[in-house]
Amino acid sequence: MNLSTSDVLLLAHAGFGVMGCLAALWVLVEGLNARSGNATRIRTAALLTAVCMAGAWICGGYWYVHFYPPEKALILKGPWPYAHNVFMETKEHLFFVTAILAFLLPIAAREKLDSNAAARKLVVSIAALIVITGLAVEGAGAIINHGAKIALAAQNPKGALP
Amino acid sequence: MNSATDTPKLSAATSGFVLAAAVTVLFNTALAWAKDAYAPLNDLLKSIAGHHWTTHGLADLFLFVALGLFFTKWESAQRMSAGRLTGVLIAAVAAASLGLVLWFAFV
Repeated sequence: MNLSTSDVLLLAHAGFGVMGCLAALWVLVEGLNARSGNATRIRTAALLTAVCMAGAWICGGYWYVHFYPPEKALILKGPWPYAHNVFMETKEHLFFVTAILAFLLPIAAREKLDSNAAARKLVVSIAALIVITGLAVEGAGAIINHGAKIALAAQNPKGALP
Repeated sequence: MNSATDTPKLSAATSGFVLAAAVTVLFNTALAWAKDAYAPLNDLLKSIAGHHWTTHGLADLFLFVALGLFFTKWESAQRMSAGRLTGVLIAAVAAASLGLVLWFAFV
């Protein structure tokens, strides 16, 4: 298997993103059933969400700045230019919303959720927003990837991919 | 869950940073619109950290932390009910997200 730095960064970016979404989902489920016994788990999962989203930011950001430009040019010349114009442009900015929410989650999770219904609703809401925006960002990533793939296929109609 | 022990209060830090997050996500969308519509701004952001996206992210992060610390000490933020803060955050995220999607899809 031949893995380049670009491949590792891109896979780590997507992997951290998925892990962050799953950790936020964990907070959501535990938050709906908040009691004194699962307070530590909620705070741990909230911290994990923030750490994973920070990892996704660093890996994805480095890849985007250093490796994406040639892929962008390829996508724009291909059959799906909107994979960049709409989906990448939206994704690269929507990700900041997900990240800010992920950094907010551990702060909100410090509240006593088992005895504070309002704080519980807040934490569950933040976790749900992370899952929704995070999955939207992941989905956009899949469309961008397909945009690059079909652009390569259009350049090499006989299947001789470089 | 015992409703008798439920309280709508949040800590000053939670209230402050929730409000900071709401403002930051709206700022994020406004900056995305502005740099897309006005190339010199994009160039300025690029000159600061080497890439417009890097500067944009750092600006968001700085704003979130700075406003969070400011709002934590701001009594008006602490007087807002938890339900209202939650509603403000959800509305801000929905508006910011929809604003990004519609801008890049149609403008």
